[in-house]
Amino acid sequence: MSESIGIDSLVELDYTNVKTEAQTSTKLRIQHLSKSFQSKNGKVYVLEDINLEIRQGEFVCIVGPSGCGKTTLLNIVAGLEKADSGEIWANGRRVNGAGTDRVVIFQEAALFPWMNVIKNVEFGLKLKGVNGSERRNTAIEYLKMVHLSKFQNSHVHELSGGMKQRVAIARALAMNPEMLLMDEPFSALDAQTRWILHFELQNIWLKTKKTILFITHNIREAVCLADRIIVLSTTPGKIKKEFLVDLPRPRDDNDVNVAEYSTWVMKELKAEISKVVKCEMDTDSCVECDIKCTTDEPAKMDIGGGI
Amino acid sequence: MYSIFKKVIFFTLLLGIWELLFRLAIWPEYVLPSPISVYKTLIHGFQDQTFLIGIAISMKRIAIGYGISIVIGVLLGLLIGRVRIFEETLGSLISGLQTLPTICWLPLALLWFGLNDKAIIFLVAMGAVLSITIATDAGIKSVPPLYIRAAKTMGARGLNLYFEIILPAALPYIITGMKQGWSFAWRSLMAGELLIVCLGLGHLLMIGRELNDMSQVIAVMIVIIIIGILVDRLFFVKMEKHIRERWGLTKG
Repeated sequence: MSESIGIDSLVELDYTNVKTEAQTSTKLRIQHLSKSFQSKNGKVYVLEDINLEIRQGEFVCIVGPSGCGKTTLLNIVAGLEKADSGEIWANGRRVNGAGTDRVVIFQEAALFPWMNVIKNVEFGLKLKGVNGSERRNTAIEYLKMVHLSKFQNSHVHELSGGMKQRVAIARALAMNPEMLLMDEPFSALDAQTRWILHFELQNIWLKTKKTILFITHNIREAVCLADRIIVLSTTPGKIKKEFLVDLPRPRDDNDVNVAEYSTWVMKELKAEISKVVKCEMDTDSCVECDIKCTTDEPAKMDIGGGI
Repeated sequence: MYSIFKKVIFFTLLLGIWELLFRLAIWPEYVLPSPISVYKTLIHGFQDQTFLIGIAISMKRIAIGYGISIVIGVLLGLLIGRVRIFEETLGSLISGLQTLPTICWLPLALLWFGLNDKAIIFLVAMGAVLSITIATDAGIKSVPPLYIRAAKTMGARGLNLYFEIILPAALPYIITGMKQGWSFAWRSLMAGELLIVCLGLGHLLMIGRELNDMSQVIAVMIVIIIIGILVDRLFFVKMEKHIRERWGLTKG
């Protein structure tokens, strides 16, 4: 189960307060969600008894080691995968399949190569039946928001990775969804591009007030972006801890407070990291790895600020 | 430019050797006519419109037969590519049938439709349909699931998903299949026209044989080759180039 942590810049999670506010403006409610897969070695429990509420306009990051089921969780919320048990309520309706109120932005931009940039942004609106000129205007408006209106007639392959992801964000926003579901959208980008996109995403969020559920394995990224960080443990994925981040926005990856906060979160999660590292090492038959694993400081390894 | 120059040299040389062999008179003229008489037959054939009529009739047949094969091929490919039960049943039938040379359908076509246009159109359609089916199936299986997931979260359902996402994503494969299908269809058309007496280019070829007119035989062969090349260059090569550029499959 989740527990709240509070130091200095954090706000102690007050459950009674959250409860009353949640009742008025809960955007997403996940109740007793569990999910398992059948594998060669038997049943693997990916998610176990996840309970989570996200409020209107909240920016929530879910962090966890790879394989902890965070992408599965997002897919279930998106309606792209089915849960074994539990319920999900999004925007007051029970989730039963994909819906345009919850648009997903994937790790790869998933733009359609047979359409140019603006046609990609218009795609969702076209499906909604919005007429030609109106959807063109909306598309241009959102391309402007991601600073790509100059590239509206470009082919997808002419864009860089960061530009593609910005088009994907514009495409999602153009549909005016209640909620954005982002699945490690910046993890394939270089640090420079990521840094810019962290700024842009925060500005977009401040402007549009969308509820955002953001998946990442990068704690620094989570601290930079989120109001609230949910930490998942691995196998089975359970909510391990919650952190509230109350730093002024827009935040910068390299800001001292962000860095300090990330270090602190890392420290709090050290036990979990050790567990994962050990776990991964054990499956590796390499002798050298085993030696490293038995030493007491696996967290010293370069794991790139993530867990 | 250099490559065109090389081609011109090559074909001039070829014509020269041909003319030389003719002048040496090793074979009688009904075996090897001179390039000049073939050229005259070509001009004459177009002037009295025999060739034009032949081309028009053949093109009409292939347009109908090939058109039918595209519609059926894409639909079958969709079914096999997306529905498990069709893949397991129809899929194996299709790959089995592909080993059958198209001309083997001729006796069946004759018995079903008689000695007429319909039999030839059937032959043309059978020639192309399997290639298009197999290519469409392969194209659909290669559509990245990510596209489908992305489209679903943006509200694509049912037919929309097929027409907006799955078919366009599979298009590079489908075009390749259509190109291959076209060459099979063209061959089947000629085979059919050679065997069934009902005008068309293949029939003109047979008339040449019946009249012992080798110039006509070679002239019609040249027409058939040129049409084949023109369709390939003007349609398929352009289409493939367009798709390659759009998708960024070529560098530079």
